[in-house]
Order: sequence, then structure tokens, then C-alpha cells
Amino acid sequence: MMPSPEILTWISAFLTLFIFSFLFGDNPIYRLAEHLYVGVSVGYSIAITWHNALYPDLIVPLFKQGNILYVIPLLLGVLYLSIFFPRLSWLIRLPMGFVLGYGSGVSIPAIMQASIIKQIQGTLLKPDIIHRADLLLWGTISLIGVFSTVIYFFFSRERKGAWRSLAGLGIIFLMVGFGASFGYTVMARVSLLLGRIQFLLRDWLGIIR
Amino acid sequence: MKMLEGLGKIDRRIIFLAMTIAVIFPLLRPLYLVGRVGRRTEELYKAIDRLPERSFLLISIDFDPSSMPELYPMYLSILRHAFAKNLRVIVMGLWLTGTGLAEEGLRTCAPEYHKIYGEDYIFLGWKAGITAVMFGLGRSLKETYPTDYYGKPVDSYPILKEDITYRDIPFMVSLSAGVPGYETWIAYAQTRFGIKVGAGVTAVSAADAYPYLQSGQLTGLLGGLKSAAEYEYLNEKAGYAKAEKPASQLMDSQSLAHLLIMILVILGNISYFAVRRKR
Repeated sequence: MMPSPEILTWISAFLTLFIFSFLFGDNPIYRLAEHLYVGVSVGYSIAITWHNALYPDLIVPLFKQGNILYVIPLLLGVLYLSIFFPRLSWLIRLPMGFVLGYGSGVSIPAIMQASIIKQIQGTLLKPDIIHRADLLLWGTISLIGVFSTVIYFFFSRERKGAWRSLAGLGIIFLMVGFGASFGYTVMARVSLLLGRIQFLLRDWLGIIR
Repeated sequence: MKMLEGLGKIDRRIIFLAMTIAVIFPLLRPLYLVGRVGRRTEELYKAIDRLPERSFLLISIDFDPSSMPELYPMYLSILRHAFAKNLRVIVMGLWLTGTGLAEEGLRTCAPEYHKIYGEDYIFLGWKAGITAVMFGLGRSLKETYPTDYYGKPVDSYPILKEDITYRDIPFMVSLSAGVPGYETWIAYAQTRFGIKVGAGVTAVSAADAYPYLQSGQLTGLLGGLKSAAEYEYLNEKAGYAKAEKPASQLMDSQSLAHLLIMILVILGNISYFAVRRKR
């Protein structure tokens, strides 16, 4: 056992233990760690935004290189602060409108192409998969799954007969999907716990290598 | 019957204790449980392995410290693989708070392979306006990133002496903990410019990524800590990396924790049906 000589490792270890103390209920040391986390996160984000974005992308080109065009993004950014002044708060619509307009124009065609058209193409049975049995099998299952799940969410027709059976099949596919998501979620949460335990045993206490 | 009903009311502190034991015991006494390498991990590995020497590999760090246990081991493994294959690595990120991790990974792996900054790899950091950055890279890297993370002009480094675009980058990997992440790369870079995209994601979002594999929009997928361990294994098997394997070290614990959760789910269901039958 070789505990770390680094003071920062000790601080980090104790903060981890403070957070874990929530397992036994809310308590002051948990709240101390929680408030510290929020404060440090915000401070870190502000500092890193200044050094990585505001200073190199706005202050330098506008004030040091004299590029007057950068007044426009500066003004748009400043107008966001108008929300704090009731009489001027309407001005926030200008940068919001700009961001929404630009965002929609850029996103809609790209998302349509990537998430709808390509996904429909991926669901269809293409001639080239017929030559491989595994691809054909999974492609067929995928096609049936999409079709039956879409039918489950079609509410404009009474569910009876074959329509009801297909909707029922859609529920099975949905449940399999939720099960897979839940399984992965468990794995993710356990991984986060493992990361901290590894830090405590290896980096802090030096029990494991 | 009372015992069956009691199974649904186990004190949560007992569950916490059982979980702690399940997690810590294998770390102290490794069980060496055997796993196999998944097809999706292998696809990503092969996509990088097949790249010709000195070709560009773009790695996008789209996560922050809250996803570090899952995604950081993937990042280290991919870096080691790329350096061992003598690829030119460009690292950037869509998450501002991930820049520190991106830099730390390069500082850890580059010296292991005697790689030189500016010749073998470069770190571009984060830039505001994500969509503009992605479209910009399709036109000119130099125009999009005039300087690197440290503020030095990118064309002052041999690695980017000549301007490049997506056309010069045969493969990229997005290590993604959410949005913006691999979906953003698919929407703006893969669909429009045709760059091949691989992804490493947190386990929570792995199930959502599978449709992109089916459609061929993703080339390979690493999902959670298990895939990170698989990649470490593949690197070691090929002789690319001899460094420590943080993800593999945790796999026994992960397996025992999963086993415990499955047992608890089964016990909970037995108790539920027992209570329901009684009513």
C-alpha cells in the first residue's frame, strides 16, 4: 500500500467520499462537495470559454487587429444580456432570431438527410444483402421491427385482427429496445462507479496497480 | 411466503454493501473472466489498422470529465494504435470542457512512441460555432483553424504545411458522450462530405447508435467500458501497446456487478409475483 503523496489526489479522494456519503442520506459534507462541484464547474467553464473562445475569437480580432466586422457578433452577444432589463428585454429576439434562423437553415437539410432518408435506406432490403444469410436475416428482422413499431404508434385506426397482432409485435420490439437501453444504462452507471473506485484504490491508496 | 415478500424489501444499505464487495473484490483478486471481442469493436479497430502509414486520423473529443471512466480509456487506446501505425493524428473537440482531457491523453501517449508535436500530431482544441467549424473543415482546415490550441499558426507546423480538407482525412473517430457528438459528425461531415466516421460512445447511448451501423453511416462502434477493454486487448495482441490497461482491469468488477444486478432483478420479480398472487 503506497498512498499518494499528492495533495490534490487527497482532496479529490475526500470529495469522492463526501459525495458517496449521500448513500446514507442527505448530509452537510455531501452538500459541501455538491456546492463545490457546481461552483468549480461554472468557474472552469467561464475561464475556459474566455481563453478558448472570447479572447482569441473576439477580443484579438476586434481590438488588437482592428477587424471592425467583429462588432456585429459582439453586439448580438451583448443583446442577450437585455433579458435582465424589462424595458429592453425585447431586444433579445434579435440574437435569438439570428441563431434560430441560422440553426434551422443549417440543421434541417442535414438532419433530414442523415436521420430520415439514410435511415429509411438502411431499413430497406437491398439486393446486395441477399447473398449473405446473416445480413438477410437481420435486415428482415429490422424491417419487420420498424414496420410493426410504426403500426403501434398509428392511432387513427381501430386495433383488431391482423392490425392488432402487428401492433402487439411492435410492443415486443419496443420492449426489446427498452431492455437493451436499460442494460447499457446499468453498464454505464457501474462503469462510473468503477472509475471512482479505481481512482480510490489505485491513485489514492495505491492498493492496486 | 413471508421470505418471498421480504425479497422485495431488502434494505438498500445491504444492496450498496453487496455492490461494493462485487466491485472491489475482483480489483484486489482478479478473476480473469474471459470475454470475447465484439464485431463492432473489431470493425473500428480494422478501419484504423488498414489506414496507410502517415495518413491522417481525426479524433474528436466530444466528452467531458463526467464520462471519463468510459471514454478516456478508448481515447488512449485509439491514440496508441494510431501512433503505433505511424499515422498523423489531428485531435480536436466539440466540447469545450473536454479540451483538458484531450491534451492530457496526447501528453500521456505521444512520448511512449517518441512522437513529436507538429510533425506526428497536432491539437486544434475547441472552437465556437460547431456547425460552421464542421462545414469549414470541408473547405479548408487552415481557414477554420488558423491557429492550434496553443495559439501558434497551424501552417508553421510540418504536419499542416499544406492545407487539408475532409478529402485528405480517410477516417475519423468521435468519442462522444452526447450532443454534439457522433450524430453531429454524421449529419454535417459524413452525409455532406463523405468522410468515414467511427464512434466511441458511453454505454447509455450505445443502443441509439446501432441504427447508424445498420445504415452504413457509422464504421465501427465502441460502446462503454467493455468495448474500451476489447480495444486494449486488440492493441496488446497486435503488439501495439504495452502500457497499463485501465479498462481491462475493471472488467471483472463490471461482470460481477452485472451478475449482482441480474440476481436482484430476478429476486425483485419473484417477490412481485408472490405478493400479487397473495392479493
